[in-house]
Amino acid sequence: MDRFAELVIASVLLAGLYATMAYGLGLIYGVLRIVNLNHGGMIMAGAYAGWYLHSEYGIDPYLSLLPVAAVSFLLGIAMYRGLVHRLPRGAAGGVQSLLLLFGVWLVMRNVAYLLFTGNDQTLRTSYSTRAAVLAGALVSVNRVAVFAVALATLIILHILLTRTYLGKAIRAVAQNPDSCTLVGIRVERIYALTFGLGTALAAIAGLLGATLFPFNPSFGAGELLKSFVVVVLGGLGSVAGTAIAALILAAVEVFAILFIPAYLTAAVGFVLLVLVLVLRPGGLFGQRVLG
Amino acid sequence: MKLPLPPWVRPRALIALLATCAALALGPLLHSDVYIHNLLTLTFIGIAAALAWNWLGGYLGQVSFGHAAMFGLGGFVAAKAEISMGMPMVFAWCFGGVIAGLYALVWGHPTLRLRGPYFSIATIGVGEATRLVGTYWDWLTGGSSGTSLPMHPNLKFTLYWYALALAAVAMAASYALRRSSLGLALLAIKSDVDAASDVGVSSTRLQDLVLFLSGAMIGVCGASYGSYFSYIEPGDMFGFDRSISWVLMGVIGGIGTIAGPALGAIIFVLLRQYLIASYPQLYLGLYGILLVLVILFEPLGLTGLSLRVLRRARPDLIVSGSET
Repeated sequence: MDRFAELVIASVLLAGLYATMAYGLGLIYGVLRIVNLNHGGMIMAGAYAGWYLHSEYGIDPYLSLLPVAAVSFLLGIAMYRGLVHRLPRGAAGGVQSLLLLFGVWLVMRNVAYLLFTGNDQTLRTSYSTRAAVLAGALVSVNRVAVFAVALATLIILHILLTRTYLGKAIRAVAQNPDSCTLVGIRVERIYALTFGLGTALAAIAGLLGATLFPFNPSFGAGELLKSFVVVVLGGLGSVAGTAIAALILAAVEVFAILFIPAYLTAAVGFVLLVLVLVLRPGGLFGQRVLG
Repeated sequence: MKLPLPPWVRPRALIALLATCAALALGPLLHSDVYIHNLLTLTFIGIAAALAWNWLGGYLGQVSFGHAAMFGLGGFVAAKAEISMGMPMVFAWCFGGVIAGLYALVWGHPTLRLRGPYFSIATIGVGEATRLVGTYWDWLTGGSSGTSLPMHPNLKFTLYWYALALAAVAMAASYALRRSSLGLALLAIKSDVDAASDVGVSSTRLQDLVLFLSGAMIGVCGASYGSYFSYIEPGDMFGFDRSISWVLMGVIGGIGTIAGPALGAIIFVLLRQYLIASYPQLYLGLYGILLVLVILFEPLGLTGLSLRVLRRARPDLIVSGSET
């Protein structure tokens, strides 16, 4: 029983991180119809930013969340204006945007490698190893904090998308960019802002992830795949769908540790993806992600 | 005498391919530079692999970032077949290729069914998962210490002609897959799967066929690469940068064109030899910058560039850009 409760709690806590990670990818895909392959690169960048600020200046990773998110937001807008914006839209641009953003990811990995070498780094704070008793199970304080931040991010995002003018404009552009031009929404600006928002979410997820896992310049590749699994499972545009999908992925991963050797857990997300694609191509909640 | 050629084969192209192959096949008899000989062998394997990648990435528009999975699998299966079962080398290559092609079908069939970038994203996961499994699966790969293949005197030298034949077969297949009626069907699938199915193109079967061919060819390339180095190791065979190198060859030469990726492979091997070998810590970034620049300024790569130059030089000629 104890073991089971511990695993359930671990899944829930991990799911918060996965949901944040995936929402950035899903948002950009839903609005711009572009898969941001640089998502993994931004996750890695967020991790290094948090680690660098902590090890050089002693800034607590949770305090550096906001500045890192703000800088990544601007970086995302710059990337959109400078690169993505120049590609043709539609089917022809699909392959091109994949390749372009993949190229950006390779550059970012190389920059990280040159700056910080390829060694694994860990972000250790004074409370990294502290644990508390929650519902009869021993839980790491840091994991709870990661979950809380992720949850807060998702709630803010939900309010932003449903209650503000900007959010309504973003959702309108996702539905029909041409009509938006007619009613006076500046579509290009919405695209740029959305790209910035998705990029910032990736960096936040990376920073949070850095407090949990060791990372190196190729950190983010597995996270990109996990984000994609969650987006496919949960559909686009719904925070609740994303949260449930993240919970499913996290639970499958956590419980898989009981049955298969550790090095195979990296393949679990992928097997789940293939199963969903075969059994429920429209995603679990009926919203078709693609096609 | 008139050869009974199918109507889609241009005699000029056939002659050009045969003449090039003949010249390259006779080359080693004229010079005795071992360095160039070996460099050409590796270039041929690179050309075959880049063309095979292009069947999926270019003709079908399904970019794969994980083709090293099939490269490695083909290499290790062939090595195993040669060592444990005593299969002759070329049969072992084919066996490795078939297994690699079937493996591509196992994960590619479900992901190709859906439109958009599902396939591309899945390939990143497949590449990584296969590398991990390969590193731990001692029986097949020998684990991180790798597998040594039987060495024959002169094998490395004669492999030149095997590799040349491989590249020639890949080139002919590239031509056939684009110019025959099958090529038209693939173009139709690439631009609109639904419309293609509506007019009677069996998209599912054709996509699977191309996936199998591409995986099998890459697998044979992996097998020949193994025979060439006579020692293979999972970290290298399944490596991520190996997958990227084919993407880059395709992009440099021109994605979806018939001969572009072959050109890209030649440029890439030279680039790697002279530039990237001197800056090993910069190669990923250089690949990335190249990708970004080509996609931004000339999405059809060198083929697009030469078409543009040709159009400017001879505006009276109608240069077909049907490769787009």
